[in-house]
Amino acid sequence: MLKFESVTKKYAGDQVALEDVDLKITGGEFVFIVGPSGAGKSTLLKLITREISPTSGRILINDEDIFLTPPSKVPQLRRQIGTVFQDFKLLLTRTVFENVALPLEVLSKKESDIEKEVSSVLEKVGLLEKAERFPAELSGGEVQRTAIARAIIANPQILLADEPTADLDPKTALSVISLLDKINKEDKTTVLMATHNATIVNHFKKRVVVLEQGKVAKDEKEGKYESG
Amino acid sequence: MNQVKKTIKLLRRSPYQALAAALAMSLTFFVATIFVVLVIGGQIVLNYIEQRPQVIAFFKDDTSDQKISEIIDQVKSTGLVTNVKYVTKEEALAIYRERNKEDPLLLESVSADFLPASVDISVKKAQDIGQITQVVKSRSEVDKVITPENLVEQLVKWTKALRLGGIIFVSTLLSISFLIIIMVIGMRIAIRRDEISIMSLVGATKWYIAKPFFIEGALYGILGASLSIFLVYVILLFYSPNIQNFLGPIQIFPITPLFFVYLWAGEALVAAFVGIAGATIALFRYLKVR
Repeated sequence: MLKFESVTKKYAGDQVALEDVDLKITGGEFVFIVGPSGAGKSTLLKLITREISPTSGRILINDEDIFLTPPSKVPQLRRQIGTVFQDFKLLLTRTVFENVALPLEVLSKKESDIEKEVSSVLEKVGLLEKAERFPAELSGGEVQRTAIARAIIANPQILLADEPTADLDPKTALSVISLLDKINKEDKTTVLMATHNATIVNHFKKRVVVLEQGKVAKDEKEGKYESG
Repeated sequence: MNQVKKTIKLLRRSPYQALAAALAMSLTFFVATIFVVLVIGGQIVLNYIEQRPQVIAFFKDDTSDQKISEIIDQVKSTGLVTNVKYVTKEEALAIYRERNKEDPLLLESVSADFLPASVDISVKKAQDIGQITQVVKSRSEVDKVITPENLVEQLVKWTKALRLGGIIFVSTLLSISFLIIIMVIGMRIAIRRDEISIMSLVGATKWYIAKPFFIEGALYGILGASLSIFLVYVILLFYSPNIQNFLGPIQIFPITPLFFVYLWAGEALVAAFVGIAGATIALFRYLKVR
């Protein structure tokens, strides 16, 4: 369902972020994209959401080249994808409820439906009681769970998580990944998580794609990752 | 309606910029409304004067009725007049007596022979007074011609100048307001850059992102126009007795509230258009959605 075909991405000054990447991820998979900083993990995720374009190659979702999609159809493409950003990207002036409701507002859903769906997702991530809090009033784990709730609220086919445990303590990090695992299993959502946290990767025994200097160095089912 | 509520909520989060934009619009439309009222008022004064007899021609004592009829027909044949009224010596005496009834000294020893017969001529357009004056003056039977030509000419000139000055002044203010709206909305786009980027990443269309800014621009305009109309209405309500007293018989007040409703609707429409146009340029210039 998600396919990278000989994808190369070069930034300005011929700096290579990804080089000739071939990758095939089937629906409902949970994949860790691992590698040291600068290996191209974030670039790979940004390509999927069409935040950036590849220098060459194709990326297909459900057999459709997403870069052949006209710009006016990009919003529809993005609605199939939920993203948990490395820096959370929560709106500080909005409450937890309002942040999570954003993707549904964008879909112009009715307020009563938004209320119901947001409450259900907040319950799932364990934040129902903190719905009216602002992000500044939450702990690191709660902020991350809010970001996850926002990413899954519109029932995306694919969930992308870019270093979601980077600033979390090991216990909180484990609970966050457990939540992603639960979403993957219960909703059959395809999860791609970029990380360099070896402990987490080795604990969950999922498919591991190792990127090194923009190339796929290893791709193993129930793989392991030995950082630095 | 939901979008309007959301936009108002956003405006309340940074009220000073919103206030600046709305006040700039208010000032523009306040001045515009004043000019509109002045131009319309000037036109009413002009119409009043145009409807009065503007040329009065006095005949020599020995002018026969036939000659007078001839002159009246000649004036009418120009097609430039609305009314020509012949005032006989007797009617002139009656008018004289009526005007001076409180001063018996002036009525003593005045008979109809003492006053000349005349014609009161009303012209269709003020600028034709000169031509009609020439027609009557060319007749040897006419002794004297009285005309307020200069006053009307001055009034026409002033009305035109007011209209032109108003257009230039209001256009300048409108341009300034337009630039302020572009600047304010541009700033708000910059402030909400993160939010816009997140909205775009969760699947918002460009139209969904842009809509609140269009509403914001329109709201600035409508708010500005409404405030200005309200201010002018209150000012006129307060000063109308003084203005009416100054204008004497020229009836301008009370102005029907319907006039202000129409003026508000017109100005709100123009203001909303200016606001939306400003928002469009700001969005085109500053909104970068990947």
